[in-house]
Amino acid sequence: MKWLGAFLLISTTTYIGFDMSNRLSDRTKQIRQFILSLQMLEAEMEYSQLTLQQIFRTIGKKTSSPINNFYSRLAEHFDFVVTDFLDVWDQELDRLTTVSALKNNELEIMKQFGRNLGQHTFIQQQKHITLAIHHLQQQLDEANDQRVKYEKMMKSLGVLIGIFIVLILF
Amino acid sequence: MMEILRLLPENMKQAVMQKIATRWSQLEEIRLRLNRPIELNFHKQIEWINEIIFTEKDSIYVLNQLSEHSLYRLEDELREGYITVTGGHRVGLAGEVTTVNGKIKQLQHITFFNIRIAREIKQIAAPFIPYIENDNRYFNSLIIGPPQTGKTTFIRDIARLIGDRENNFTPQKVGIIDERSEIAASINGVPQHNVGLRTDVMDACPKVAGLMMMIRSMSPDVLVVDEIGKEDDVNALMEAVFAGVTIICTAHGSSVEELKRRPSMRPLFENHVFDRMLILQKDTHDYFKIDIFTRDGKKITSNLVKKQ
Repeated sequence: MKWLGAFLLISTTTYIGFDMSNRLSDRTKQIRQFILSLQMLEAEMEYSQLTLQQIFRTIGKKTSSPINNFYSRLAEHFDFVVTDFLDVWDQELDRLTTVSALKNNELEIMKQFGRNLGQHTFIQQQKHITLAIHHLQQQLDEANDQRVKYEKMMKSLGVLIGIFIVLILF
Repeated sequence: MMEILRLLPENMKQAVMQKIATRWSQLEEIRLRLNRPIELNFHKQIEWINEIIFTEKDSIYVLNQLSEHSLYRLEDELREGYITVTGGHRVGLAGEVTTVNGKIKQLQHITFFNIRIAREIKQIAAPFIPYIENDNRYFNSLIIGPPQTGKTTFIRDIARLIGDRENNFTPQKVGIIDERSEIAASINGVPQHNVGLRTDVMDACPKVAGLMMMIRSMSPDVLVVDEIGKEDDVNALMEAVFAGVTIICTAHGSSVEELKRRPSMRPLFENHVFDRMLILQKDTHDYFKIDIFTRDGKKITSNLVKKQ
């Protein structure tokens, strides 16, 4: 019994450690996806002259989870009359918060970006996109630093804390 | 009518619907101006919805619905000052213009909207087709009329009748050069009005370039063009006529004599390009008068057509 308990304890803490380290690397991946999606947005706006709905749909197909769901769901909203785009945008971002590793900083950047989406002519819109990408890039650098610093540590810390507690209990 | 109502915020939508009730067929324009009540223009009278003042928030809403939240797509439209929406209706815009080197760059702070209800009146030109046709070959025709006399409606129906199987003749290949997107009212190249089965549309294309493009690539039997007037237009038209294609076009004016006096139009008459001249006039509130003349100025028919 004792050994089983010890095993369970260690595997739990190990899992927590791995999960936390995964979140660190997921965050960088997801920020990178966001940057990529904004670049696609810009390209589509310039060359294919599609509406936001069509662009969201395309981006939704080309990005990976959970960012793709964010865009696909936005596109679905446009099947009906969108009375308040900001509302929809914010709502979907909030929903994204709960399922992604993204932090408030980058979500705030995207929220701000939504304020200007579709409200300007292309040249102005492009400036907003560039600005948002720039801000996201900063977050990406920071997230990368953290990942490098803590990723391995979290993993080993998980195992070690487990062993530590087991030793104390023994 | 949904395609028009969807442009308006909920409260305005209700009020407009209530005010119009069953009179949609008489409605010509809905005009929105910042901080002023809504104006509804019917055939005969103007009405106001005084309870609702059009606010800045409303104007942003309308613009968002017009652009489908994608204003970046509408740069050309904002330069031209109008947007075509589903159903062929057109929304005229006014506000503050920004210029670069004296040329209009774009429209900013759009504060005036004029939603013009487009109406295709099918068969309106049907009684006149026999006068511009002989042995399944159409005459070069010029449709003359002052603004708001239905020139565009008329020419659209002519294009449809020629290109469709509806009349008793073999349908012919029709090419429309739709510089101001008024004839076919295309969105993304898809005509919103019925312009006929055998009809091809070159949308938003300058007339001069479009005429030759059509002739070279689409082998039309009949070319339909709206509002000729500039010297370049006339030259391009002459080229087309002598390339063996039938031309049907419209021009602003109230009589043939008046047009003959315009220097840019003179070559057309000197070369006797047009075999038929159709003069449109507003007769009363409800009727249009249509006179058809031959090349030598002989009147062959005169008719009243009820406005719908």
